Amino acid sequence: MYELEATADLLLMSPQGKTAAATAPEPRETSVEAVLVRTVLEGNREGFGQLYDLFAPLVHGILLARVPRAEVDDLVQDIFLHAFKKLNTLRDWNAFGPWIAMIARNRAMDFHRRSRETVEVTEDLRSSDTSINKATEILELIRGLPAAYHETLVLRLVEGMTGPEIAAQTGLTPASVRVNLHRGMKLLREKLSFKENA
Amino acid sequence: MNDDYLWDKSGEPDPEIQQLEQILGTLRYQPRPLELPDDLIVQRRRNYFPLMAIAATFVIALLAAGLWWRTTSQKKPALHEVKVDQPASAPTIDKQVDNKTLATDNHGPSPVPSVHRHKHQSPNVLASNTRRRSNSTPTLSPAQEKEAEDAKAQLLMALRLASEKLNLVQRKTQGGTAPPNQIRNQHKIG
Repeated sequence: MYELEATADLLLMSPQGKTAAATAPEPRETSVEAVLVRTVLEGNREGFGQLYDLFAPLVHGILLARVPRAEVDDLVQDIFLHAFKKLNTLRDWNAFGPWIAMIARNRAMDFHRRSRETVEVTEDLRSSDTSINKATEILELIRGLPAAYHETLVLRLVEGMTGPEIAAQTGLTPASVRVNLHRGMKLLREKLSFKENA
Repeated sequence: MNDDYLWDKSGEPDPEIQQLEQILGTLRYQPRPLELPDDLIVQRRRNYFPLMAIAATFVIALLAAGLWWRTTSQKKPALHEVKVDQPASAPTIDKQVDNKTLATDNHGPSPVPSVHRHKHQSPNVLASNTRRRSNSTPTLSPAQEKEAEDAKAQLLMALRLASEKLNLVQRKTQGGTAPPNQIRNQHKIG
């Protein structure tokens, strides 16, 4: 049920809980990212660097919830390069965050479609540090949660973003993010306690 | 469980969440400069409205021209129009045949029309129903007429000789009992 809510919110792409139909066809610069998008479209490449600094943690968290850690950094670069080339297709400049989040989700799906088995092996070989091993184990538990929860939990626990920040950057409604956090954390606690008992 | 801390890091911290943040923080994004190639440029947004308007106008013009051409081509005589050539002095049987053919042709195109095509007709017309005005009786010269009369006399003579021989044979077979036919004999004279 909550997965359906989250999916519907993703489709609506509304940063502050507004419906997509309410957005004006002409992009309005009501946010920092909208101003940066305009400057990039006018030819200022440095503006895109600022967009990268703002949204790289978001893309990193989305990828980390879906693909092996060793592949995440390269994929982040690829996604931002793709976004730079296709920035002219972004209609609502205020929705840069939901737009690039959707690109990241699609790229993660493509990654699994192409080379799933090979990547799983390389991830196991590269994990040598104990703290990273512990973190990787918990991350695997989070990845085992329903899709609506693991992305929100990674953004909160790994990337350190707050609930309102997650809602603003992903386009989800704050209520959905709050529910996803609460229920996902509950499931994660159950899995962790089960693992400790085992 | 403190929901506020999980939501926006406010309120009393949850030790378990703090521990998870500390462990998972090792996987956090490490800032890394974006490497944009120099030759990579952002594509400008294109306004396709003028191109679309020109294309739509062109398509509409093509449709109008096609419609006009179709309308004008339908006014020309059709290829299936059939005219039956019926001679004025044709025999009755031929007329009936021609009428039947004409009736058949009026209902639909016949695969093999039983009419002749005139040389002066256009290639689109398969047959015409124009009545032939020329006299069908042949005109003979005086010498040809005399020759025909002589041939007619010879033919009559041959017929009379053959008839006389047949009568003679008939009398012999009947034994000569039958009286001679005076009328027939009268006919034989001349």
